[in-house]
Amino acid sequence: MDKNKERDLLNGIEQEEYKEGFVTDIEQQFVPKGLNEEIIRLISRLKEEPDWLLDFRLDAFRRWQKMTPPSWGHLDLPPIDFQDIIYYAAPKKDSERPKEIDPKLEETFEKLGIPIREREALAGVVAVDAVFDSVSVTTTFRKTLEDMGIIFCSFSEAVKNHPDLVRKYLATVVPSADNYYAALNSAVFSDGSFCYIPKGVKCPMALSSYFRINARGTGQFERTLIVADEGASVNYMEGCTAPMRDENQLHAAVVEIIVEKDADVRYSTVQNWYPGDAEGKGGILNLVTKRGICKGSGAHLSWTQVETGSAITWKYPSTILRGDNSSSEFYSVAVTNNYQQADTGTKMIHIGRNTRSRIVSKGISAGHSQNSYRGLVKMLPGAWNARNFSQCDSLLIGSKCGAHTFPDIQNENPTAVVEHEATTSKISEDQLFYCNQRGIGPEDAVGLIVNGYAREVLSRLPMEFAVEATKLLQVSLEGSIG
Amino acid sequence: MPGHYIDIPAAVGEKSVRVGEGETFTKVAVLDGKAGLPFDHIIAEADSKVDICVIVLPHTDSEASETAGASGASETAVIDIPLTVDLVGEGAEVKLSGIYVCASDSKVKLSTIVRHRVPHCSSDQTFNGIAGGKSHFKFFGHIIVAPDAQKTNAYQSSHNLLLSPEARIDAKPQLEIYADDVKCSHGAAIGQLNEDEQFYLRSRGIPESEAKVLQMISFVAPVISGISDEALREKIHARVESVIRDLAETLQ
Repeated sequence: MDKNKERDLLNGIEQEEYKEGFVTDIEQQFVPKGLNEEIIRLISRLKEEPDWLLDFRLDAFRRWQKMTPPSWGHLDLPPIDFQDIIYYAAPKKDSERPKEIDPKLEETFEKLGIPIREREALAGVVAVDAVFDSVSVTTTFRKTLEDMGIIFCSFSEAVKNHPDLVRKYLATVVPSADNYYAALNSAVFSDGSFCYIPKGVKCPMALSSYFRINARGTGQFERTLIVADEGASVNYMEGCTAPMRDENQLHAAVVEIIVEKDADVRYSTVQNWYPGDAEGKGGILNLVTKRGICKGSGAHLSWTQVETGSAITWKYPSTILRGDNSSSEFYSVAVTNNYQQADTGTKMIHIGRNTRSRIVSKGISAGHSQNSYRGLVKMLPGAWNARNFSQCDSLLIGSKCGAHTFPDIQNENPTAVVEHEATTSKISEDQLFYCNQRGIGPEDAVGLIVNGYAREVLSRLPMEFAVEATKLLQVSLEGSIG
Repeated sequence: MPGHYIDIPAAVGEKSVRVGEGETFTKVAVLDGKAGLPFDHIIAEADSKVDICVIVLPHTDSEASETAGASGASETAVIDIPLTVDLVGEGAEVKLSGIYVCASDSKVKLSTIVRHRVPHCSSDQTFNGIAGGKSHFKFFGHIIVAPDAQKTNAYQSSHNLLLSPEARIDAKPQLEIYADDVKCSHGAAIGQLNEDEQFYLRSRGIPESEAKVLQMISFVAPVISGISDEALREKIHARVESVIRDLAETLQ
């Protein structure tokens, strides 16, 4: 393809707009800017939290103060002024009708395609927990789920109504001082989802959290805790968007998943935070710690992620395979364009016997972006007959971007097998030629090839998400042929 | 916004070797003592050919005691083998290969950095090895393709056999790529002797211990067969075979 056409097409993608970039004009309650013990006490008071949780926050804050931000990522992370962030923002409740959802909020989520009124959707029924800045707006289908003993509510409600469960599991997978951003989250986390599936219960519908950042100058610090008791199973989905702004906004979340004996958890993310403009101005800094543990034998945890947004992504959904015969998968598509940077991957820590893990990562970089896969596979001495296979492919579109692979493989057991493969290439001329020759234009051909390239991961997504993810891929890369 | 590519100049150090335009540099190094490679840096100019083969074997007894006597250090000192290759001229071809056989409590660290600075170069790396006893082997292999180093072919593979419960192998293959019209791949695997192969050999009357020896030899054979000097190849093959037989005896 000739250079001019290539440039035109590359310009085309830069002009693609971010359709979730609107701002909702709503009266909000803020805490003052800055971060200190007073602010943490204030957040805790606003959320009417018990003392043990305040102590947990303060302890995490004191640890965080002694920590330094990690610098090993392949990222140019702008310095973050933690005193210049508003740590809590909530839409004001109408004091006359405290039970009802503000119509403006409802409209916002409607516009984003998130049903916060219970209704039968075409693609099936999904229970949604919608989080707007620092609070959960509503959780749907709660009654139906309650009848089966399933708890699905906002984290704040869980603290009020199920304190024993929260206390039992909180910070058991991601300790409060696990890393710099997890410690920050432990100190100031606002809201998120809590989900508990009791013994032997198969959750009848997919559960979903939708996170929306709206207010200027704020950060979002969500905390999600998912517990699947013995033999339970659940399909969990997470989505995120934010308005277009020329400032960087911080999103530092912690997700913890506990999978007991024979339980099965599938966790899917479609991350579409605002990625910044074509010059790399603004966008969300997505610094997230996600970790799950397969506690009992036969437990299964699967991560699927489609990462198309954020100016910077720093995210490694990981699994600790402690139970014998437990298994885990990580499927990821990460797309970066313009000046986006992504350093993402996974960790699989094999402790138990006969544990299995599989990693499939597909990176696509275009524009001036940098896209890295970083992963750790560790076989501990007790991981007899454990098995891992990793496949990490990178696709480069244009000559100004970078694609990197940084795996770390450690084996301490003579019966464990670890395999890693990685390739880097561009869309092959042959494939393009083949398509063109059959009357498929260059743009459609790229769409076809990229979709085929990411197919293995996209096909793992639940149906409700697969449609959205395929569309997102097209918007992010339309015409970006090089 | 700055890019991520860090342009470290190809500075010539004390142990640098410059392979001039169109020249060929071939070296087979057997490391079985405390001495490492005589060089740690290669600068490959246009159309040069570099072929380096590193054979890491357990310390011979005399040298091991010599090491302990001379430095007072214990036998478990890490044998560090660093090697950086800068491809600075178009058309340069670099082949790096190596095998290691680690037994007892030896600790070996092999790190290669291959920097493709200019277009139209190729690099090919193959490292296979075996760790038994209480040994610990670390492989670090970094491939960097600079912006505009188009039409680069870079390939790397590291296959490892972990044969005893107390041995340990870590592998860190890394790709850092800033140009799009390239073909780069790496593969790393850590595992055991294939049971199907073992069954095949034993079903043909080969005893288990001999089957294992044959498997281990065939595992490192691709590297040895790449040595072009026939006399040297035969010599190294014999040496490696005897080391593998010694190692096999320590496994039940």
